[in-house]
Parts: sequence; C-alpha cells; structure tokens
Amino acid sequence: MTFALPRRAFVQRPVLLALAATVLSAAGGAALAQAPRNFATLAMVAEPQTLDPMASTADLVGTIMQHVFEPLYTFDAKWNVVPMLAEAMPKISADGKTYAITLRKGVMLHSGRELNADDVVASLQRWMDTSPRGKALGKELESIKAKGPLGIELVLKGPYAPLVAQLALPSGMAAIMAKESIATPLATFIGTGPYKFKERKPDAYVLLTRFDKYSARKEPANGYGGKREALIEELRFVPVPSANTRVEGALAGQYDYADLLPVEALPRLEKASGKTLPIMTPSFGFPYLVLNTKEGVAANQPLRQAIQTAIGEGEMLAAGFGDTRFFTAEGNHFPKGSPFYSTAGTEQYNQRNAKQAKELAEKAGYKGEPIRVLTSRQYDFHYNMALLMAEQLKRAGFKVDLNVVDWATLVQRRNDAKLWDLYITHSGQFPEPMLSPPQLGDGAPGWWSSPAKQAALTAFNQQSDPAKRAALWGKVQQVVYDEVPYINVGKFASLSARSPALEGYVPATWPFFWNARIK
Amino acid sequence: MHRFILSKLAGMLAVLAIVAVLVFVLTRAASGDPVSVLLGDQATAEDIARVKKDYGLDKPLPVQFGYWLREVVHGNLGQSIFLQRPVTQALWERAEPTTLLALMAVAIAACIGIPCGIVSAVYRGSVIDQLFTGVAMLGASIPSFWLGIVLMQIFAVSLGWFPVSGYGAPDAALPERLHALMLPAIVLGTLNSALIIRFTRASMLDVLGEDYVRTARSKGLPERTVVLKHALRNALVPIVTVLGLTVALMIGGAVVTETVFGLPGVGNLVVSAVLRRDYPVIQGALLVIAAIYVLINFGIDLVYAVVDPRVKF
Repeated sequence: MTFALPRRAFVQRPVLLALAATVLSAAGGAALAQAPRNFATLAMVAEPQTLDPMASTADLVGTIMQHVFEPLYTFDAKWNVVPMLAEAMPKISADGKTYAITLRKGVMLHSGRELNADDVVASLQRWMDTSPRGKALGKELESIKAKGPLGIELVLKGPYAPLVAQLALPSGMAAIMAKESIATPLATFIGTGPYKFKERKPDAYVLLTRFDKYSARKEPANGYGGKREALIEELRFVPVPSANTRVEGALAGQYDYADLLPVEALPRLEKASGKTLPIMTPSFGFPYLVLNTKEGVAANQPLRQAIQTAIGEGEMLAAGFGDTRFFTAEGNHFPKGSPFYSTAGTEQYNQRNAKQAKELAEKAGYKGEPIRVLTSRQYDFHYNMALLMAEQLKRAGFKVDLNVVDWATLVQRRNDAKLWDLYITHSGQFPEPMLSPPQLGDGAPGWWSSPAKQAALTAFNQQSDPAKRAALWGKVQQVVYDEVPYINVGKFASLSARSPALEGYVPATWPFFWNARIK
Repeated sequence: MHRFILSKLAGMLAVLAIVAVLVFVLTRAASGDPVSVLLGDQATAEDIARVKKDYGLDKPLPVQFGYWLREVVHGNLGQSIFLQRPVTQALWERAEPTTLLALMAVAIAACIGIPCGIVSAVYRGSVIDQLFTGVAMLGASIPSFWLGIVLMQIFAVSLGWFPVSGYGAPDAALPERLHALMLPAIVLGTLNSALIIRFTRASMLDVLGEDYVRTARSKGLPERTVVLKHALRNALVPIVTVLGLTVALMIGGAVVTETVFGLPGVGNLVVSAVLRRDYPVIQGALLVIAAIYVLINFGIDLVYAVVDPRVKF
C-alpha cells in the first residue's frame, strides 16, 4: 500500500514560521494587556502533599490551608496563645482537667451556615482520630462534648498544659470544618477562614478566593491572631520546586511572594533594583540529629555522649548555611525572648573535643563499629552538615558509614531500628516545646524512653502556670543534653522574597496573606 | 498491510506487558515509602500501617500486581496516593503542556536542524560545515538545566519577554500558554537540533553521492532543485525517524526542562511521583509513555511509506 501526498507537503517550514510568528505576537499582546489585578502569585516549594490540613504535618499544607480553615486558638506575634474561633481563652477548672470553651457568635462557614459547637466537636474528633498531633492529645483526653450551641467542654485524664498550644498550631492543624463535610479523604474544604477553596490543579496551582461573609475578630491584627481581612481577591499558590527558578522568578517580578530561597541568592536579591525584596525570618527552624537509643552502637548512652562531645555544631551550621546572618550557634533550644529560653546543659553544646570524645568512647566500650548516618540531599544543608559531622566524628576516632538516600527512603528507613544509628532532619521553631521534635513524645524514631525523660516531661506537662513551666523546661533540656536522644544543632533563619507590590505582608513561620494587599 | 499492522500490534502488546511487569517490580524494589512521606514527621507506626491498609499497600506484592493488572486491562490506571484523583485524569491534565512543548520544540529543532544539516552537507568540509558541526557538538553537550537558567536570566529576568516559570495564569487562553512555553521550547529545540543537524548532514551526504543526483545535475537542473527535491526527499526517511523519536522522548517527559520551568507536564508528574513514591502514578505514567513510544514508532513506520514510495508493506 502507498499513500498519495501532495508533493510539497513535507516542506513544513512556512507553517512553522507562521506558528512562531503567532506565538510571538501573542506574547507582545499579553505583555501589553496589563489590567489592574487583584490576585497574588505565591511561589511555594512544592506541590502540597494533600489539602487535608489534618492529614499531614507538612508546613506547606498548613501554610496554604490556614487561609481556609481556622483553629480555636492561634498565636500572636510573640507566640502567646490567643483566641481565634473561640471567644476567649478557655476556662480551666481548678484541678486543671476541664476546659470550657465558648465559640464566637455568628461565625459563618463557607457553606453559608453558622458555625456551632457540633462542628467543633466533630472536627476535633476527626483530628484526634487522624492527625498525628491530634492523636497525641487524644491519649490525654477523657471526653469532649458540646454544651449548648456555642459551648464545648474538654475533659482531660490529668492536667496537660500543652493543650491550648496544640489546638493552635497551623501545621497538622486542629482545623474546624463543617460537620457535614467531614470525610476521609476530605473531598470538600468547608472552613471559616477569610479565603475559601476554589480550585486545585496538581503541579499547576491551588486557588483560594475571598470569602465575603468572613467574620473577623475585633482585636487589631497581631501575629496570626486578631483581625483577619482578605484584601486580595484571589491567592494563587503555585508550586515551583526548583529553588533556582523561584529566585529567577522573584528577580523577574513574576511572583508576589517566593518561599524559602537558597541563602546564596541573598546578594542577588539585594541588588534586584526594586523588582523584589528579600525577607529574612530569624529563628525559623532548627536542624537536629536523632540518635537511635534502641538498637545499634548509639543505644549505649555513654557513647551518645561521646558523639555529642565530638561534634562542633557551629562548624556544622556554617557548612549548612554559609552566611552567618542565616544561623545562630547556641545551645539553648529556645531563642532569647521566648518563655522557654534556658541555658541548662548548654556547656555540652558545640564542644568539638576530639580528644575527650575518644576517651569517652573508649570508656563506653566502643570497638570501632561504624556509626551509620542516614541523610538525604532533599535539603542541601542536611547533606552538607552530614559531611562535616562525619569528618568531626572521624577525627575523634569513630568509624562513620554515611548513607545518602532520597527523602522517601529516609523516612521509611528511620522507622526500622536495625538500619541506622543517627539521622539528620530539621523542624520549624515552634512556640511550645511539646510540638517538636517528636522525640519528646512516645514512639518516634529513636525510641527514646527513660525514667528521667518521663519524670521531667510529666512535671512539665502537668504544670499549667506558664511561669513555672518555663523553669521546668530547663530541666527537660538538661535531660536531653545528658541522655542525648537528639542533638539540637542550632537555629537557622529562612530567606524568602516578596514583590514591592505586595504590601502589608508580615514575615511568619507559616506565611499568611490575609491583611496583605496588592498595590 | 493488514498483516503488517496485526503483527505490529501483537508486538506492541508484548512490549507493553513486559513494561508493566518491569515497572511494577522496579518501583517496588526501590526503597522508600509513600505513606511516611504523605503523613509527615509526626506520624506514628500505627498511622502509617492504617493508611497503608487504606491504599492496599499492606497486601503481598503479587496480589497488588494482580489488582493493578486487572484495573489496567479495564483501562483504569488506579488512584494516585497524593493527588486525590485517578492516574488517568492526572495524566490527561498534564498531556496538554507536554504535547505542546514537544511539538514546539521539535518544530524549532527541525527549523534549525534540517536547513543547517543540508547546508553542511552541500558545502561539506567548508568553514560553514565545520561551524555548524561544531555548534551541533556544543549543543549536544550542553546540559538543558544550564541552558534553561541562562536563557531564563537573559530573556525572562533581564528582558522580561517571557515568564520565568509556569504555564500561564489559571484562566489563561492558548496564546498565553504558548507564550509561557516558548522559552522551554527554545531550550529543548536548540539542544535537540544538534542531533537533527548531524542526521540530516549524514543522510544528505549519502544521497548526494548517488547516481541519480549526478544525473539530475547533468540534466542541467538548478542546484536548488537538485538538493531540495531530488536529494532531500530521498534523505528524509532517517530524519523523520529522528524527529518522531524526539517527539516520543519529549512526551515521555522533558523531565529536566519541565522541572526548571515549573511546567505542569508529564515529566514533572513523573519526577514528583518518583520522589514521593506515588506508585500508581509512576506505574501508570511509565506504561502510558511506553505505549505512546510504541505507537509513535508504529506511526513512523507508516510515514516511511509516505515519504518514500519505495517502502511498501
């Protein structure tokens, strides 16, 4: 069989040239048609794992969905817990076990119905069933019930001070949603936030649009708390996984906000001639090393202390973040100004003492078994810090086996005590110690469990007087330095950028865009 | 002809069956766990076990494979773990940017590659030939992410002619989308033109040495007619093959380029699926890509008959 074809059909060039011309002229047209806009393009680090704010503790999910869903409480700029959907702080019974919460009146759900106590009970129930953070709280809870249309009563098995902070955290959020929308997986997103969910196209965008019937608080805006107002009509969260592309997009003025940029980009952003403005968020998070207290060489506590003596956290931070503006090498787990600031145990931070570490290791019975370090290149600073730490350990006579895997492998392997001795990760700097790292709770990788831990944490968690809790945290920090279940490497700042057109943006750990406007 | 098509189809099915098995085995052989990635740092072992059960990931591998194969035979590629939608829908949504990008890139590659290849062949050994061959070598050696970033800095950041990344605004019409694709298409087109230059040149050189070309010249035909009509048409078969395979490769995902330019295409989908071990998406996407590859190859075989009347099935 043969096909008949016009003789010149294969000469495609004129057609292609015409196509190219069309595209170029369209480009010119698009550039000229600059209508006043009322949307913001927000370049995020990835596609969100899910839009269910309870299903994942990933910061990205919380960052986006905190515009749609609100918690009962939230944090002000100084990390104090303040009411959000709740009218005021809870009334706590004298024995510290019963929390009476009253909702604000007239809060509207995105479905057009008024929020009531049944929604809250159903939401918190779901949170305690599905969310990792909620489960931790669920273990402390005796009962939860609605008391009238706006009242909720939580009864605890014993005093548990972190309760209100747990309810306030935007990641793994205790999000309040319409009772009838609750399902697993969550198919509709009906909250009370200043923005409602409009559309998601994976790897392209998540669109949120202003909720006109939003009931704002009366207090002035303060951190995540106070009055929230959707001044921008539409928020467009766009995944831009390549960090370099986020930098170039910010420099080109394509994004109103570009999240988490590599620190090397700062000089270029500073010279960007008015197209973009760098934003630094200090004490954004902390890298930490988790040690396997259950199996392998690090199960031996004196040997963990030898490891702690060998490493120099200051050098590791320098390797991870380069510019000194981006990290602080200090042993206090909470920054100065935080109620939990304490120097207990910090003499054991940043020792970098190879000689002493060698002696300690010998005394601990170390026979040259390799220390299996699990790390990934998902975050460059993890990897760079791991390389440096390996050298520090080798200098102290340790044998190091560096396992560089991808993130999905790391999160799988760390659940198996047989596979590793130490892994590197990081966390946001949260306002409440019990929120992170998970090793302070039970069952997290590392499997830290000891009488001293139990005693220090019980005392800390049962004390609901904030002033007394601060002192009790120092005791917990001391135990962490003594038993070395994990090593807090220090604090790092984050770098983001915003366009000059985005006004009123306040830097935050979980960036939010209510109260911001487009000029 | 029918026999040819039938035997080809049987071959295609066999290839796809092999791909299905390989893809399943390889994705599961790789370490990593989608559920741990999905649930984040604070998840407990029980949470992970529960969600694994929800997705059927707790069953023995042969059982999982059986389920998957049964679904595939019914045209259903399963449900993505992360995207909360069927894999077929996820792929369909990515098809547009990837297909348009592939077509634009190949058009650019052909526009550069074929004329340069012809000139190189006609003026073989001249300065211009050496220049084009040199540039082609250079093009074949430049990594696409590098060229992407450089062009991005020049044309998007400094000159502002094109957007840095993305696929136009959510409500964009086709011209704006094509505009967003221009820069990545130029990157891919330029890099791939290297191969086309080499193939066109080699193929033309073969043909230009043939007797009928000498005959055409001795008849006194203008050189232009000899080269473009008598030589080029006969040299076209390998060039069409390369063009077709280039399209197929790009539809399989211009992975790096799509990632650099933040395009919501198939390549991006596959990369993010691999990084978070979204098994149904990896399996489904690779199977579909393999199917497209096989189909395009089949298409190329048919096109041979068009460009070269001597080819008969």
